[in-house]
Amino acid sequence: MLDLAPNNKRGLVLHSPIMVGSGGAGNGDCWPSGLTPDMFAAVVTHPVTLRPRRGSEPPRLAELPAGFLLNTGDHNPGFRRLLDQHRTQWRRLGVPLIISLAEGAPGDRAWMAERLEEEPVVAGIELPVREDVNLGELSAAIAAVRRVTTLPLLVKLPSTRAAHLAKACVVAGADALVIGGPPPAVYPASGQALLEGVLGGPIALPFTLRALEKVAALALDAALIASGGIQRRQDVALCLNMGATAVQVRSLLWTDPAAARALAQWGQDPIE
Amino acid sequence: MIQTKAHVVKRESERGHVILTLKAAALAMRLGPGQPILVRPGPGLDPYLPRTFHPLSIQDDLLSIRIPPDADRGHAWLRARSVGETLDCLGPVGRGFRIAAQARRLLCLGEGEWAWTLLSLVEKAVAQGVAVTLAVEATSATRAIPAQRLPLAVEYRLATVDGSRGRRGRISTLLPELLSWADAVAAAGTMAFYQTLAAAIEEQRLLLRHGYAQALYPSTFFCGVGACQTCARDVAGGRRRVCLRGPVFDLADIV
Repeated sequence: MLDLAPNNKRGLVLHSPIMVGSGGAGNGDCWPSGLTPDMFAAVVTHPVTLRPRRGSEPPRLAELPAGFLLNTGDHNPGFRRLLDQHRTQWRRLGVPLIISLAEGAPGDRAWMAERLEEEPVVAGIELPVREDVNLGELSAAIAAVRRVTTLPLLVKLPSTRAAHLAKACVVAGADALVIGGPPPAVYPASGQALLEGVLGGPIALPFTLRALEKVAALALDAALIASGGIQRRQDVALCLNMGATAVQVRSLLWTDPAAARALAQWGQDPIE
Repeated sequence: MIQTKAHVVKRESERGHVILTLKAAALAMRLGPGQPILVRPGPGLDPYLPRTFHPLSIQDDLLSIRIPPDADRGHAWLRARSVGETLDCLGPVGRGFRIAAQARRLLCLGEGEWAWTLLSLVEKAVAQGVAVTLAVEATSATRAIPAQRLPLAVEYRLATVDGSRGRRGRISTLLPELLSWADAVAAAGTMAFYQTLAAAIEEQRLLLRHGYAQALYPSTFFCGVGACQTCARDVAGGRRRVCLRGPVFDLADIV
């Protein structure tokens, strides 16, 4: 057993190091062929905002060599509707559910986090951080959420600035750091206009590893979770050897569910 | 949706396209007309995204896909497959065409390359004893579906933009006559094509009622289960994931 939040009185205990990253199974309701929640250590939802978001206009996807660019614009039904629609199904999930709270108006995330205190089905909160955030603003945002919730707090840092931001997050109350949000980029989508989005797929792994190496070197008092480009056992092993306690997988569930299942089953073997 | 290995049992070339017949009993059994499948376009992690195909035919444990002669690397890899090799497939995606129990005269309308996606529906409808007219708009005769690919019972109407075969011009010139005959319509084409079709139906029948015409939303897919959100479009009164609500919609819901 692993604990992503050993300093938090609630803790966040996982039975394996392989988590489903943000939106990899939708909001815990979109499972590709042959995959079930219990195969994974935890499930992270799509980022949700207080009010519904229509998200980006199409196209939202562009293929890159060994990966893709994705820009959904945080398309989501809004906080209340998400809970109303999924609460019953989440009770049957059987593994820790982590709600990702997207940035919105000031105070929105703290408001939502406070409401999640009353949701017994929620095991933790993930806060994705945008790449151009300023250090003071980030510290204040995390501290505001920390003040209103006892739930384990995972902060998902942009991989390009993870080392710069990591310490401030832990000081402000993060229990674990997700390393990291893939870097944004621009590429033509199917011969159309340029799409701006974040990298996904195997191409994201080198960015994850660089950020992980730098953050691990800081030896902070917080668990590290590697996220971005993880596809194979050797990717997982590398991340764990570099200091990660767990990893998040996402697009592998979409492109090759059988490989995701094999990876999850391998992750359930004793890791000592 | 299932993930399965499909065995290539036949490979044909047709005007630059490659048609692969795949043996995949579990997938073929679940697959219906209008439901796409997702095929991995290589043995490794590059290219990474699956390619979307609408099977040309679905029979027993076999299905066939048509790979275009474009510059896409994934398509190039798939075109190079030969008999005996296997492909990694996911499917079926979403909801396909339905043939209403009371339908007796089905009009299938296809625009350009999208017309090929109607072939499996044509075959199924004919097998159910429904009278079928397939009307296709192509840029030229060489780009149209060859008549010999169709069951004998099907009436085939062709409009070519260059006039090389059939009616010269757009398919819209055929619509008044065809719509007055049909009691159900299934269409595959671009959104502009669907706007034209909806306008023609309203002119012919006064109203575009739900249940009269179905249309295949022109989209490719990534995950096929609603997780990735890349196929979200404004359809059926809201922004919805085409892979879950479609890809076949009532025409009234997408125009």
